[in-house]
Amino acid sequence: MDCSKVEQWLSEYMESSLPPGDMEGVKKHLETCPGCSALLAEMQSVLALCHRYPSLEMDPDLTERILLRTSGRPRTLSFKERFIQSFVRPVLTPRFAVGASLATLFLILMVNLMIPRMSEAVSTLSSRGLLGVVDQGVRGLYGEALKAYETKNEWQAQFGRFRTNAWNSLRSIKEQMNEPVEGRKKSQEGEPRKIAPKEKSSALWLWSA
Amino acid sequence: MEPRVLSGDQKLVERCLQGDDTAWEAVVNSYGKRIYNLGYRYTSRREEAEDLTQEILVRVYQNLKSYRAESGSLQNWILRVARNLIIDHYRQVRRYPQAGGSEELETMNIHDDKVPNPQRAFEQVEASRFLRDGLQSLSPELKEAIILRDLEGLAYNEMAELLSVPEGTVKSRINRGRLELAKLLIKRRSQRAM
Repeated sequence: MDCSKVEQWLSEYMESSLPPGDMEGVKKHLETCPGCSALLAEMQSVLALCHRYPSLEMDPDLTERILLRTSGRPRTLSFKERFIQSFVRPVLTPRFAVGASLATLFLILMVNLMIPRMSEAVSTLSSRGLLGVVDQGVRGLYGEALKAYETKNEWQAQFGRFRTNAWNSLRSIKEQMNEPVEGRKKSQEGEPRKIAPKEKSSALWLWSA
Repeated sequence: MEPRVLSGDQKLVERCLQGDDTAWEAVVNSYGKRIYNLGYRYTSRREEAEDLTQEILVRVYQNLKSYRAESGSLQNWILRVARNLIIDHYRQVRRYPQAGGSEELETMNIHDDKVPNPQRAFEQVEASRFLRDGLQSLSPELKEAIILRDLEGLAYNEMAELLSVPEGTVKSRINRGRLELAKLLIKRRSQRAM
């Protein structure tokens, strides 16, 4: 088997798609011919390069453009895209960013106000100091809770007083409103009803005059 | 009269023709990427590949009525439309070369953690450049055979159907294309060694 024949069959030899007899013939030739075996090695490198050549992903915008140009209907969004569009995108707005920043700032301020300075305890680095700070913090929180409880009781008492006063006021108003109605009823029952004299008609008045 | 039995491809096309937009979207999603990559292999330019993909799929949509399942798979029919348009585009570009614009290089997927990053990156770029330049140096027939077989992974019979040539011719073109690329690689290595 000569080199030109082997060259013609190298691809099929690589893919093992030659008939068994030809496969054997090419194999024997390659064992003795450094030129053809070098060529085979390079062909294998080329094939490996081709297989590693990247496959590009199609841009979703391109799909959208094609669909709009053909069926006129926008593409169906995947679950992930729908999630991003519904929840993530609204969050990634300047308004949300400002709100989140303000909320974080507020939270930091609150934590700073509520919890005693940990830096002091850390600077001492003693368990006693840490315990003291924790104790101070717990006492502080207990005091705040007591204050809140007292405030709540005070507001409750104030509300109770307000409610009692309001009821009393309403009751007195009701009594005042009921009084004249009862008096009118008595007058209707006891005395005969006085009928007011009819005024003279304008014609009679002219006659009498 | 017996009811007509439709193949999967024919059913899909029938649905598209009846105005089922989801069916057409399925076609675009199934074949769009392949067409886009095919366009990119030929042009080495993303923008051109995008334009070609758009033109091809619009042409496919307009000509869906002419698809017959008896004459082959939908994939091959679409690839044939794609190939014709890409060849037209290739002729046009060769006749009127475009000014400006640079060919892009996609780096290869070379995974070798032992090699430091800059060296690996350099090798990836070199490999991509070699393959791109090598493909450009081949004749259109050989280039097409290598793209369809080694980059797109089509079978010999699919290629024979698509290119309307016997399988033997397909095999011969693939072999010649690989040989030329291999010889180019040897030449390149010997130049470097000098």
